[in-house]
Amino acid sequence: MFKELDPILHSQLRLAVMSLLISVKEAEFTFIREKTNATAGNLSVQVNKLKEAGYIDVVKQFKDNYPQTLCKISPVGIAAFDEYVKNLQTYLRQ
Amino acid sequence: MTREESLQIIQQMISTAKNEQKDDGKGWIVWGWLLFAASLFSFVNLQLNWLNPYFFWNVLGMATIVLRVAFFKNEQTVKTYTGELFRKLNIGFFISLVFIVLAININALTPVVGFALLINLYGFWALIYGTALHFKPSVIAAFVTWAFGFAALFAKTFEQTMLLHACAALAGFIIPGHIARKQFKQIGSRKNYNDIVSV
Repeated sequence: MFKELDPILHSQLRLAVMSLLISVKEAEFTFIREKTNATAGNLSVQVNKLKEAGYIDVVKQFKDNYPQTLCKISPVGIAAFDEYVKNLQTYLRQ
Repeated sequence: MTREESLQIIQQMISTAKNEQKDDGKGWIVWGWLLFAASLFSFVNLQLNWLNPYFFWNVLGMATIVLRVAFFKNEQTVKTYTGELFRKLNIGFFISLVFIVLAININALTPVVGFALLINLYGFWALIYGTALHFKPSVIAAFVTWAFGFAALFAKTFEQTMLLHACAALAGFIIPGHIARKQFKQIGSRKNYNDIVSV
């Protein structure tokens, strides 16, 4: 029985962001943009969607007088990512 | 997006994040050469009976502080769990280092025993670092460094201790540091995620 894949995660950029964040403690917006090669605008929209879903925590602060956006995966995000991977495996086993 | 593409993205991004946990070896190389130079200059100094026996160690202490402030600024855009472990490990290493240096200075330890303990500490650092990074040269270096540490316990003179300390710096920091740097550069020149998947 196939389970539906989480539509929030089943998008290239959002999945890339979550896969990056699952492996690190926290990452700056600039780091994620560099690694995904996304535009700042597109990434910002997708990060907001993940934040609204409760999958990531976003902290906006200042570092050396420059704005800094930090992203960190939340426990809800970890659980959702875990389930997504498990569901993905059921498809791939077929 | 197909299931295979999903899996490819996950694998590629996790691999990208893992590469962030590699060390460029720069810190090991600088620290290693400083220790090596201080040991050899101290050896020559003792032979020539020129300056205070600890003159070059005082210079090393000051050089370390200056280099740390001037060149090793924290500009990381990502915090990894391994990175956090290393930060704590380095704090512990530094406190232990100060502890031993202080013990030598207040004559609680003889210089020969004190430097043998320092070499022992380098071995411990190399083992943890190498294990956390899955970097075998550093793990091997740890045991070689410990061998020099044990030998240093039986040194008859401070000159012998300095030579063994120089060897330990070479084995524990300089050689694995250069290997790490070479590997880090190789990783940097590989294709990145953007060449494989365009988001």
